[in-house]
Amino acid sequence: MRTSTIVLASFVVILGLFLFATQVPINLTPDKVAAAVSEAISASEVPVDEEIVEQAVINSLTILEKGQRTRLTYLFAAYIVIWLVFMLYVLRLEQQQQQLDQRLAQLELISNSEE
Amino acid sequence: MGNLKTKIIGVITAALIFISLYLVFGYARVEGTMLEVQKIFYYHVSAALTVFVAFGVNCVFSIKYLIQRKPNDDLLAAAAAELGIIFCTIALLSGPIWARYAWNTWWNWEARLTSTLVLWLMYVGYFILRSALTDDKRRIYSAVIGIIAYLDVPIVYYAVDIWQGGLHPDRGTKWSLETTMRHTWMVALLALISLFVCLLIVRYKMKKAEMRYEIIQQKYL
Repeated sequence: MRTSTIVLASFVVILGLFLFATQVPINLTPDKVAAAVSEAISASEVPVDEEIVEQAVINSLTILEKGQRTRLTYLFAAYIVIWLVFMLYVLRLEQQQQQLDQRLAQLELISNSEE
Repeated sequence: MGNLKTKIIGVITAALIFISLYLVFGYARVEGTMLEVQKIFYYHVSAALTVFVAFGVNCVFSIKYLIQRKPNDDLLAAAAAELGIIFCTIALLSGPIWARYAWNTWWNWEARLTSTLVLWLMYVGYFILRSALTDDKRRIYSAVIGIIAYLDVPIVYYAVDIWQGGLHPDRGTKWSLETTMRHTWMVALLALISLFVCLLIVRYKMKKAEMRYEIIQQKYL
């Protein structure tokens, strides 16, 4: 198998691993938020405006998700850069190896013709 | 037998990289201040420490070459320097991405960053010199440059102590990490050192083959 194929395959696997491992750990849906808000309101001893609380929770979640997206983008960018450098280097090595093989084949051809 | 050994090291390296990536993203605790971005640390710091190993190998074999004058030592030194540049590039590129989030700047001319850039430039100079000279002259001059350039390694390492007030944390920070983080960092470091050894063997063999080709070419063509 060619080195470039191995490198690309490893890149895809690592990308997959990265995407799998950096998923948002708590999957919060609007239904879950609404259920939690109504549960908290019903447990509250003082009167609470349901709409205001729900809006505050949604706003907080949006801010947290935005922050996490930003952080994951930086993390993703750093690991992509690391793998890109390795990939380019390995591809360059493969190219050099191919050139060397060609030169050796030419040399063999010349020595055979001289014999 | 030599190829088998290389393949075994390659398989071990690949396994270590996969394990370390799993540990980075799936096992290590998320740090409290920088949260997910801190995970850049595992490969950034490991790459930086591998740079010291690579340039250390270059320095040792440069000295060995100057004493024994064996061309193979020069080839090994050159291969190690090339890989050192690769790992240094990784540290220099992944660092600013982390810095942009943590320090709100891509680059800062603080002691460790500047001395690392100087280190990178010195070894780039090492290769410019190698390409400009031939045979014995190339080997001797590059060995001398390799030894001189290595003097910057302790400066990089102790930069945070010598010039205090920089943005990088103390040297001891990595040892006081939480257990899962410390384990993950150690595996990542081992993975990158193993990758360095693997690539060093491959590059050294290629350089040796190139040298043999040049000798045959000069003799018979």
